[in-house]
Amino acid sequence: MGKGKYEESSSDEEVNSSSDVVEASSDEEVESSSDEVEALSDDVESSEDESSSDNEKVEESDSSEDEVAPRNTVGDIPLVEWHKDEEHIGYDIKGRKIKKQPRKDKLASFIEGADDPKNWRKIYDEYNDEEIELTKDEIKIIQRVISGRTPHAEVNPYEDYVDWFEYEDKGHPLSNAPEPKRRFIPSKWEQKRVANLVRKIRAGLIKVSDQNKEEEHNVYSLWTDDTDSVENKKRGGYVPAPKPKLPGHEEAYNPPVEYIPTAEEINSYELMYEEDRPKFIPRRYLNYRSVPAYDKGVKESFDRCLDQYLCPRTRKKRINIDPESLKPKLPSRKDLRPYPTTCYLEYRGHMGPVNCISVDPSGQWLASGSTDGTARVWEIETGRCLKIWEVGEVARQICWNPSPDRPILAVVLEYDVLLLNSGMGDIDIQTKMKELLHISEPGATEDAGDSKSAVTWIQHEKHDGIRMKHFKAVSSIEWHFKGDYFTTVVPSGDSKAILLHQLSKKHSETPFRKLGIPVTAVFHPSKKKFFVATKKFVHVYDLSKVEKIQKLETGVREISSISIHPGGENIIVGSKEGKMCWFDLELSTRPYKTLKVHSKDITRVTFHRTYPLFASASDDCTAYVFHSTVYSDLNQNPLIVPLEILRGHKPEHGRGVLDCKYHPRQPWLFTAGADSIIKLYCH
Amino acid sequence: MPPKHYRAPGKKKEGNAAKYITRTKATKYLQVSLNTFRKLCILKGIFPRVPKKKFEGNHKTYYSMKDITFLAHEPLLEKLRQKRAHEKKVKKAKARKNKELAERLLNRMPTYKLDRLILERYPTFVDALRDLDDCLTMVHLFASLPAVEGERIQVKRIHNCRRLSQEWQAFISRTHSLRKTFISVKGIYYQAEVQGQKITWLTPHALQQVLTDDVDFNIMLTFLEFYETLLGFVNFKLYNSINVKYPPILDPRLEALAAELYALFRYVATGSTRKPAENQSISSTEEKKDSDEKMDTCVNESDLQLAQLQHQLPSNEPGALMQLLEDSNNDDDDVDQDTIECKTLFKNLKFFLSREVPREALLFIIPAFGGVVSWEGEGTPFEETDEDIAYQIVDRPTQGHKFLSRHYVQPQWVFDCVNARIILPADAYMVGMVPPPHLSPFVDDEAEGYMPEYAEAIKQLQATAKKNVMPLPDLDNQDLADPQNLIADGVMDRTQANEAAEERQKLQLLEKQYHDELKMEMSGITYSATLSNKKSENSGSEEMQHKDEVVVPVSTEKNDEDDRAKLYMSRKKRGLYEAIEISNQRKKDKVALLKERKRKALASKSG
Repeated sequence: MGKGKYEESSSDEEVNSSSDVVEASSDEEVESSSDEVEALSDDVESSEDESSSDNEKVEESDSSEDEVAPRNTVGDIPLVEWHKDEEHIGYDIKGRKIKKQPRKDKLASFIEGADDPKNWRKIYDEYNDEEIELTKDEIKIIQRVISGRTPHAEVNPYEDYVDWFEYEDKGHPLSNAPEPKRRFIPSKWEQKRVANLVRKIRAGLIKVSDQNKEEEHNVYSLWTDDTDSVENKKRGGYVPAPKPKLPGHEEAYNPPVEYIPTAEEINSYELMYEEDRPKFIPRRYLNYRSVPAYDKGVKESFDRCLDQYLCPRTRKKRINIDPESLKPKLPSRKDLRPYPTTCYLEYRGHMGPVNCISVDPSGQWLASGSTDGTARVWEIETGRCLKIWEVGEVARQICWNPSPDRPILAVVLEYDVLLLNSGMGDIDIQTKMKELLHISEPGATEDAGDSKSAVTWIQHEKHDGIRMKHFKAVSSIEWHFKGDYFTTVVPSGDSKAILLHQLSKKHSETPFRKLGIPVTAVFHPSKKKFFVATKKFVHVYDLSKVEKIQKLETGVREISSISIHPGGENIIVGSKEGKMCWFDLELSTRPYKTLKVHSKDITRVTFHRTYPLFASASDDCTAYVFHSTVYSDLNQNPLIVPLEILRGHKPEHGRGVLDCKYHPRQPWLFTAGADSIIKLYCH
Repeated sequence: MPPKHYRAPGKKKEGNAAKYITRTKATKYLQVSLNTFRKLCILKGIFPRVPKKKFEGNHKTYYSMKDITFLAHEPLLEKLRQKRAHEKKVKKAKARKNKELAERLLNRMPTYKLDRLILERYPTFVDALRDLDDCLTMVHLFASLPAVEGERIQVKRIHNCRRLSQEWQAFISRTHSLRKTFISVKGIYYQAEVQGQKITWLTPHALQQVLTDDVDFNIMLTFLEFYETLLGFVNFKLYNSINVKYPPILDPRLEALAAELYALFRYVATGSTRKPAENQSISSTEEKKDSDEKMDTCVNESDLQLAQLQHQLPSNEPGALMQLLEDSNNDDDDVDQDTIECKTLFKNLKFFLSREVPREALLFIIPAFGGVVSWEGEGTPFEETDEDIAYQIVDRPTQGHKFLSRHYVQPQWVFDCVNARIILPADAYMVGMVPPPHLSPFVDDEAEGYMPEYAEAIKQLQATAKKNVMPLPDLDNQDLADPQNLIADGVMDRTQANEAAEERQKLQLLEKQYHDELKMEMSGITYSATLSNKKSENSGSEEMQHKDEVVVPVSTEKNDEDDRAKLYMSRKKRGLYEAIEISNQRKKDKVALLKERKRKALASKSG
C-alpha cells in the first residue's frame, strides 16, 4: 500500500513535465474533460471515503487488492508507446473505449494552475488519463510516509498488549480432590531408613566426620628403641640410592677465577656433542644479592626423583687400586744381564733395504743381502765390507752354512738359490769347497721322479758357485745343523712346496705332500725333526719316518717366521699382526704364552744359540729383546721376560726392521733395516 | 626339536625368568594401573633390577619377582584400590549432579598412613637418617615454592613442608650439629652430622621459584608425601631425644611476622629447660602459663607487650645464659670435639642482619655456631642500636650510617668462617667489596691435586689460630675444659707420634730385609739359568759392575719399563690399567687447565 502511494507521489512530478507534451487540444475538450474530472474526482472522493472507511479493515487484512478497481481495464501495458497514436487510452469495465482527454496547452495549463490555489494538490494519472486532486488528508499521509512515520497519525505502534483471554475466576483445570492423609503422617520407610542409619552410626559402621576437622599431627615415636633393632628385617638385595654428587668449587656463586671457563672455551662447548657438553657452566656473581633464582631447581629435583624410582640399581665393585700393582712382578733386568741394549756399530754400504742378514758360525763374519742386488760379507768387529757379490736380483734370504768347515753362503733370489763360496777359511777348506761347489755335467743331477722339473743344479760361472734354478719363486732357505742338507720353500709349489736338498750329492727331493701354502720351514737343532709353518699352523714332521707328529695351532692370522729354541722343545712364532706365540712342544699344541708385542708385522723372530735370549723384529722400527729361561724341570714353566726395546731404524716405505740375528757366541743382536743400515746392538 | 626357550606346561620357570619380571607383567600381576604401580613403587622404595640375562629384551624394565610379590601383599595396594573405587563413586555422583552425595563422599575418602612403610623401609633410626638427604632437599624445595591457591601444589602441603623444614633446622641449630655450608648457584648446601650420619641438603635461594611445565608434579608429590611423613617422624624422634615436646606450639605473633624459625628456637630453648626439670623453676612455669594464655586469648596488645618483654628477658638475662651454659656443660659429656668446636665458634658474638641479607639462612647458621642474632623488624631480640653487636651483616653497595664498634661484613663471611672453623679477618668482606672466592667445603683439595689460592690462605690462618689457642689456656671461664682437652690431645699426639715413628722404623727394617731376601732369590734364579746355559760364570761379577752404573737415560727408560710391563699383562688387566691411566690423565689435564687459566688470569691482571 505504501508502495503504491509512493508511486503516485513520484508520478506527481511527471505530471508537470508530461503536461508540456500535450499541447494541441481544444478548449471544449478541456471543459468537458474538466466536467469529467470533477465527476471523476467525486468518484475518487467516494472511493476515498470507502478506502477511509476501509482503513480500519485494511489494518487487519493488509492487502492492496481491496482497493477500488480502476476505470481503465487495459492492464499493465506501456501506455505511452502503445496508445501513442490512438484516440483512446483503453476500455472501461463495459468494454467501451475511453477517449483520451484533450491535451491542454502548456501555457493554458500553467495559467490555470497559477489561478487555481489547489493546483499543487493535483496529479495526473496517466493510466486513467485524468487529473486527480489529492485531499489534505492524503497529502498528510504522503508527508508522513515520506518522513518515515506511520501513515496514520492515530495509529499507535507501541500500544500495550491486551490479552485475548480472560482468566479471572476461571479456576485450575486439574482435580480438585482433597489432600490425602499420607501427606500428613511421617513416612514409615523413611523412618526405617533413618533408624537403620542411626543403628549403623551407633555401631560405628558409618563415621560421621566433621568437615572442618583439623588435621592433627599423628606422629609418634616410630623407632621405639634402637637397641633391640630389627635386624635384617629388610628384604634381601636392597640397595640404597646413591647420594647425589656434592658440589665442587666451580658451583660456588663466587668461584675462584680459574674455575670460570673463558669465552673461547664456552664457544668450543657449542661444537661438542650434546652429551659431551658440560651440564653446568660456572659463573661468577660479585655479591650474594645478585645471585638469581636457579631456574633448573625443580627440574633437577624431578630428575632425581625419576632416577630414584626408574633407574635399576646394582652394587658395583669399584676397585680402587694402584695401577702399579697391576703390573706383573718381573725379575729385575739387571739380574738378567747380559743382553743387547745399545747400538754399537752400524754397517753402511747397501744401497737399498737390507732384506736379510746371517752371521757365520765362527762369529767373525756377517753376510747380508739387499734389494739393491748385492750380497755382502762384513767383518763384524770392524764393520769393514769384505766382499760384494753382484747377484743382479733382489736377495731375499741369505744363510751361512752352520758347519764351520764349509764356509758356504746360500742366497735366495727370485727363482734361484745361489750357493756361494765365501772364501773364508784356510787353503784346505778352500780346495774342499771348490770341489764341493763344482758340478761336472750340468743338468745331470736332475732328479728322477716328482721333482723332475722342480730344481735344476747349474754351475754358476760368474761367482764360482752353484745356481739352483727353481720352478717357482723361493721364499726361504734353511740349513740343517750338520751343514749338508738344506731346505727351500716354494710357497706356490703345491705338492713340491718343500724341497730338501743334499749339497754333497747335489740332490733334491720333495718328501712332503699335501701341505697348505707353507711360509717357512726349519730343521730341529739336534733331532731328526722338521717344522713347516703354514699360514696358521706349524706342522712338526719326523724326518726319518717322513710323517707328521704334531700340528701346532697358533691362533694368529698369518705366520711370518718361526724360530726353534736351541733345546728344541720350544718354538716361537711371529705373526703379521704383531703377535708372538711361545710354544712348549711337550706342554700343548696351543701357545703357552701369546704376547702382543708390536704394532706392525713381525718380520723375524730368533733365538740366541747359547744365551737365554730371543728377539723379534718388526716393521714398526723396533726390535724387542726377551729373556727366556727354559728349565730342565718339566713342571716349571719357561720364564719369559721382556727386556729391552731397541730403536734406531728409520721407517722406509712403511717398513722398519726387516731381519734380526743373534751373534752365535756373544749376546749381540744384528738388525737389518729398510733404511739400508745394519746395526749391531751390544750389551 | 623344541624351541630354545621351551618350557613344558606345568613346569616352573627357572633362572632369571623366575627371578625377574618385566614392568608390564608386574602391573598385570598386581592388577593395577601403571600410575598406581608407580606410586606403590615410590612409596615402598622398590626399584628396577638388572638381571644377568635380559630374557625379554634389552629395552625393558625388570623388577625382582620378590619385590613384586612383596607388593602384592601390601595393604596399601588394597587401600589404593578402594580409593579408586571411591573416586569413581564421586565422579558418578557429580555426573548425576548429585552435589550433596558427591560432597559427602568426598568427605569420606579412604585415607592411608605411611608410618608402617617407614618402619619397614628404615628398621632403625640410623637407616632413616642415612637416607635423609633427598628427603630434606625435596622438603626444602617445596617449602620455597609459591603457596598460591590454584597452582598445582596444595597450599596446605607447602605450609607443611615449611613447618617441617624449620623444625629440622631448629633442631640442627639447637644441637649445634651443622658442619659445613656452601653457597652455590643452585642454592645453599648444608651438611650436618646427626648420630654420626653426615646429612647434606640443599635449600634453594630465598627467591621466587620457577615452576616449569616439563615436570610431572604427580610423581614429585608422591615422593613428597613419603618424605613429609618421614621427616615428621624423624623430627619427633629428634625432638624427643633432646627432651622437647614435638609438635611445637609456636608464638602466633612471631609466626605472623614470618619469623617462625626464631619462634621455634625460642620454643626449643624453653622446652629444653622444661622437661628434664626436677629443678623446674617458677619462671618457666610462668612462661608456660603465659604461652598458654596467649594461645587462648589470641592477640591482646598489652599481653603482647608483656610477652615481648618476657621473651626478651631470658636471652639477655645472665641467669638464663648461665642456665644454658649448664645445659651445654651437661651435654658436653657425650658430645664430640667437633660439636664443641662448632658451638664455640661464634660464642659471645652478637650479629645483626640487615634487611637485604638472606635472613632464614643466617638465622639458622649463626645460632648453630653459638652466635646471637637479630634482624631488622618487629619482635626481634635486640635492636640495631645495640652496642654489643660485633658484626652487622649487610649486602648493599654502600653503608650509610656506621657504628664504629662493629664490623660490617657480607654474608659470605659467615659461610666462610663456618667452613674454616675460625673467625676470618673481616677486611676482605667489607661492604661494597668483591669478596674473596667462595670455596666448596666438600672438596678434598689434596686428593683433587689442586689447591686454590684462598684455600691455602685459610689453611695458614687456621694454623696460626691453632697456635694461638694452644699457649693461651685462660681464654674464658667456660672454655677451660677445651684447652685442657687440647693439651691432652697434644700430649696424646706426641706419644702417638713417637710410637708411630718407632713402628715405622721397624717396618722399614723388616721391609728392607724382605727386599734383600727377594733380591737374593731373584738373583739365584738367574744364576741357575746361566748355569743351565753353561756360560759366563763371571756374569755375577759383571752384574755387580753394571749395577753401579745404572744411571741410564731416564724418560725413555721409564717408558720402556711401562711398555715392558704392559707386554706381560693379560688383556683384561691391561685394559684396566689403561683405563686407570686415562682417568688419571684426565684428572691431571683438569688440574693443568685450572693452572693455565689461573696463569692467564694473573697475566691479564698484571699486564
